[in-house]
Formats: sequence, structure tokens, C-alpha cells
Amino acid sequence: MTKDGNSTRFDRRTLLKAGAAIGAAQLASPFVQVARAADVVKIGMDNPMTGTYAALGKNELMGAQLAIDSINAKGGILGRKVELLNEDSTSGDAGVAVQKARKLIDRDQVNFIIGNVNSALAQAIANVANEKSIFHVVPGGHTDSVTGKNCHWNTFRVCNTTQTEANAVASTLVKTAGKKWYYLTPDYSFGHTLQAGLEAAGAKLGVTKVGGALTPLGTTDFSSYLIKAQAANPDVIIFLHAGQDAVNALKQAVQFGLNKRFHLAGAQQELEVLEGLPPEARVGTWVFEWYWKQPKVAGVDTFISEIRKRNSGHVPTARHYFGHTAIWTCALAAEQAKSLDAVKMARAMQGFQLPPELAMMPDGAFYRAGQNQMIGNLYVGHAQSNGKDDPEDLFVVDQVVNGKEVSPTLEETMCKQDWPKA
Amino acid sequence: MQAFVKQNALNIVIWALLLTMPFLMNAVGGYTQLGTQVVVLGLAAMALNFLLGHTGVLSFGHAAYFGLGAYGVGLTIRYFEQSTLLGLLAGVVLGAVAAAVIGPLIVRRRGVYFAMVTIAFGQVFYFIAVRWNKVTGGDDGLTNWARHDINLGFTKITLVNEPIHFYYFALFFFAVAVAIMAAILRSPFGRVLLAIRENERRTRFLGINVNFHIWASWLISCTFMALAGALFALQNNFVDPHSLYWTQSGIFVIMCVLGGMRSFWGPLVGAAIYVVLQDYLSSVVSDYWQFFVGLVFVAVVLFFPRGFMGALRRRTAE
Repeated sequence: MTKDGNSTRFDRRTLLKAGAAIGAAQLASPFVQVARAADVVKIGMDNPMTGTYAALGKNELMGAQLAIDSINAKGGILGRKVELLNEDSTSGDAGVAVQKARKLIDRDQVNFIIGNVNSALAQAIANVANEKSIFHVVPGGHTDSVTGKNCHWNTFRVCNTTQTEANAVASTLVKTAGKKWYYLTPDYSFGHTLQAGLEAAGAKLGVTKVGGALTPLGTTDFSSYLIKAQAANPDVIIFLHAGQDAVNALKQAVQFGLNKRFHLAGAQQELEVLEGLPPEARVGTWVFEWYWKQPKVAGVDTFISEIRKRNSGHVPTARHYFGHTAIWTCALAAEQAKSLDAVKMARAMQGFQLPPELAMMPDGAFYRAGQNQMIGNLYVGHAQSNGKDDPEDLFVVDQVVNGKEVSPTLEETMCKQDWPKA
Repeated sequence: MQAFVKQNALNIVIWALLLTMPFLMNAVGGYTQLGTQVVVLGLAAMALNFLLGHTGVLSFGHAAYFGLGAYGVGLTIRYFEQSTLLGLLAGVVLGAVAAAVIGPLIVRRRGVYFAMVTIAFGQVFYFIAVRWNKVTGGDDGLTNWARHDINLGFTKITLVNEPIHFYYFALFFFAVAVAIMAAILRSPFGRVLLAIRENERRTRFLGINVNFHIWASWLISCTFMALAGALFALQNNFVDPHSLYWTQSGIFVIMCVLGGMRSFWGPLVGAAIYVVLQDYLSSVVSDYWQFFVGLVFVAVVLFFPRGFMGALRRRTAE
């Protein structure tokens, strides 16, 4: 710069000092570089550890770590030890999620990448993974497009699409509650697609929408929305919120006494939310994507006791299940293809049926060919205030739905996979 | 020659580091993408500092123009033309036009009111991006587009799957933008901006149209911000509304403060510190990394109020 206040005078001594400082900085490199044996299989996890979805992301991580430990105990992947590298994607910043995905792929040379809880971030990571041809598993981001309009040959998803969840609960709602529905929807992609899914499913059953309101993400006071919902006089008020929003909305609805006059319900519900609610607000009809109380299903008991050991005695939630299944999907793909080549692994997983002790669902689970979407069971039921024989038994499964019957057809998903030529 | 080296020592060191960054980054265990991130966010911080540090006006809504640049390039490549350069141009023009129109509405405000109004206008763009689902992809972000190789006729620049090429591509635009900003600051026009920063009332008494100068500074600043945003989108092959959100503006301000607002290169240094710190800490302590970044920020504000470059210069002066 020039000779005004902005100028910087730099003498030789400073330059030398700066050089020494830079040299020292190189030695005390801020990056932890550990020489890793080439015979390690690396799985990168790019999932929220901070923000709104931190609790869900951490539960997925716990499930993933359990899977890593049991895979290593059984001799690893293709005889090689497995290592999990975890990065915080943040809950909503796709720029960071993409940066972390590239870090895992370019620098750490991971063989697999896992992520994300947030649908938008899942899609962003999927695009990076596709560009780099890395085998990618989405544990828990629900928006349809990930295995729909924007699907990729190398992206697999464990959790359900929003349309599948909506289809699973719609007929039960019509039977138990009625045909006039009012929607309270969080104003972002997950909420929008979930509502669209329910409207589509409802239309087939003759449901009329008597109204709806979009609530901004992070709303704490739902009273004005609840008054509007009440005025519309529906049979069912449908809550499509997740996380803290769901806790606030339901708590206030019960304070207003709405549960005595209308049926409260929704599509996706999670154990994390029910545990966050006061007992009197644990009401309504919902869909769980996995539930821990399945006494007759193979593998569940071991899974529960292993998670209890790591989770200070708490039972696994669907998020633990997603993380666990995502890691096992990678291991199974490699074993099935006898290779770590992404294309071979992805081919091997087309239509792949998970072993029952890993599927942990009465009808089993498989990855649908041409879409890479896992299809298993969904658990439709109602919340209960207090668990009978376990304080965490807060959900009563009324009906186990087979995902095959409620999933949209392959044509309806609009998925067209872009397999590499060669 | 020696005098030249002495006078430009800082410039030489910085350019040497920038030119060798991909190799340095990889040598110390980073990755090329991280280097690109430093250059792109460094450009954004320097663009903001043109207004903040050199004109003395605090904007808290600059992410809007960063995001507009990003959406400009994304929308162009997705819907109109598969051309990286055209997209880049569209992004910059989109950001510049928005800034030119909004500028006159806000230049009459000062201090915290100016900052508040810039946030308000920034959030307008954020909500457009979130709500206009059909075009922008809403909260999911804009996907299904990617940067393309550039065919210049006589030669072809490959950018797809070539992170190092893209680094130098970004560095080229960074160099052009920085050279223009430095030239403007050296010109009489730039001196007026510094005068406004130092004493606005006295500048007004000299017969200078202060509001016009602030508008022009705002426009220049936002235009380069849009350029940075467009490069950021090309780097990620992705845009999402978060890049327009006011917290992103805050991050740019933090970068300026960390590096030093009164120094020309300060924001670049601040961006480098922020990006590397964030990348490193979030891998080591993935749950609490924001706490440590905040701690560093607090420490800098308490002990080096002039930022990293300010502290360095004071040591030199002593």
C-alpha cells in the first residue's frame, strides 16, 4: 500500500521473525496428521453435531459407532479394520456440509460417506459424492428428492421418504378420526413435502383439507395458529413439526384443551420428541420409522442392550437405528461386491435384502433397485403418557405397515439413475 | 530494487503464499478446497471491508449480495446457459443491480440504523430464496447444476474435477478484484472515502456529497461481494438460502475484525484464520467448536482490538 496511515513498514528483522513464525506454524501444524495404514477402510460421517438437529445427529453417531465396533469385532470389511471419521456439518449450513464432505473425500480419502439428518444437507452431500463417485448413505434426511427427482446411482437412503410416511398413516387417520384435516406445517422443505404427501394420500381417501398454516422454523408461541385451527373446526389437526417445534406445538395444543375436542395427529414422530413432552401432552396418532419394543424380532434385544450400555441406560431410538444401518450398509456392500469400488458396490446393493438381525423389522428390509431407497416396516400407533413396564415405552404400535404396500412406485418417485458409462 | 522490496514486503509475502497455497495446504495436512475457501471468503471479507474499514460504514446485510451472486450463477447455469463465465457475470450483475437499487434507500442512515436496514433488506432476499420453491429449490437449495470447463477458443480451461485448476481460476478473479479495490483506494475518490471514515462532518463541510460517496462505496463493495458469492457457488456446485442469511453477514464482519479492519490485507488474514480454525476445531471437538471460535474472537477483541494485522503493525512500529 501507499505511504499513508495504511502503509506497513517491514524491516528485515520482522521478515525474519515472520519467517520463523511461519516455519514454526508448519511444524506445529494445526492439522492432525496421523500416518494411517493403507489397509484401513475409512467411513466419513458428515452429520450435525451442533444446532437444532444436534441431538438426532449424536444419536445417529452412537448407532454408527456401535456398528463400527461390531464390524471390527467380526474382522472388519474385506479383512481390513474400519475407522469412523466424524465431522460436524452444522444443522443448516450446506456450505459447511459440502466443505466437510470434500475434506473427508479429498484429504482423508474415505471409502464411504454418511450424512445427513437435514434433507437439504443430505442432497448437497449427495451431489458431492456423485461428483467424486463415492458410495454415500443418507441415514435420516427424509425429503423425497434424495431418492426421487435428484437421485444418484451412488446414494442410498435408510430412512423413509415423506410420501411413504404420509401414505402409511393416512388410512388409519381416516378410520380413527375423520376426513376433515387441518395442517400445521413447519415452513421448510421437510414440512412442505410432508404436507404435500399427506394431501396426495388423503385425496385418494376422500379427505378434505379445511385449512392450514405455515409456522416458521423455531416458533415458540403457537397460540395464534392454534386458534385458527380451532376455528376451522376440523376432525383432525395435523402437526408436521419435528424437534423443539413439535414439543412446543403439542404442549400448547394440550394446554388449550384441543386434544379433548379434536384428534391430534401427524406423520413422522420420534422418541426424542415424546420424551421432551410433559406426560399429558403425549397424545395423538403418529408414524414411527423404527420402535425399540419389538419382542419377537431378531436382533432387537442385542441392539437394545448394546445401546443401553453406551447411552446411559436409555433405549435406542430410530436415529440410533439409522446410524447403525447406514454403517452396516457400507460393510454389506463391500462384502457383497468383494471390492471397494463404488460402482461395483452400488450394483451389488440393487434389490439387496438386509439380513434379519440387521433389518430388525418383522417383514425385513431391502434396498429397492433403481432407486436405492430402503423399504422396511413403518409403525403406526399412538403416543401414551406413561410407559407401562419401561418409562421410555411412550408409543403403542397399533399397526405395523409393510413399506412395500405404501411406498410410491418407482415411476412415481421420478428417480432416473445416472450410472457412469464404462 | 531493495527499496521496492522493502516497501512491498507484505504484498510480496502475501502473494507468494497465495500462489503456493494449494501446495502449502496439502503439505500441512489441509486440502486444496480449503485453500479455495480462504481465497473466496477472503475476497468477500475484503469486499465488506471496503465499506466497513475504508469508508467506516457497518453493514450487517452483505451476505445478501454474496448470496445473490451465488444464486445468479446457479440459476443461470441451471436454467439458461451452460457457461461458467456467463453465470459468473450474471451473478455479479444481479448483486450489483440489487445493491445499486437498494443503496439510495439506505445511505441516509448512519451507524446502527444503517446496519439494521441492511439486515432488513438482506432478509428480504433470504425469504425470497426460501419461499420461491419452484425456482430456487427453497430451503433444499439449488441443485442439479455444476460448473463447466471454459473454452477460450485457443485453449481450454478444465475446471470440472480439477480442484487445483479451480483454485487458480478463483485466485485470478481475486487478484483482479483486489487490484481494482487497491487502485480505487489510492485514487482521489478513495481518499474521500477515508476522509468520510475519519470525519464525516468535516468532509461534508468541504462540499463533498457524502451520501453519494457512501452509495458508490456500497455499490463497489456489494459488487465484489457478489463476485465472491458466485465463486463460492461454483466451488461447491451448490447454493442454499443460508448463504443469504444474516448470520453469514456476521461471519464476514467477524473475519474483518479478526484480521484487522484498518489494514488492506487484514480481512484476508481474518478469513484465513476463521476458515482454518473452523475446519480444524470442528474435526477435533465436533460438539463445541463454535465455543472455541467464539473464545478466539473474544480474545482478539479484548487484546488486539485492531485485529491480527493491527497487532502486527504495532509491533513493527515499536
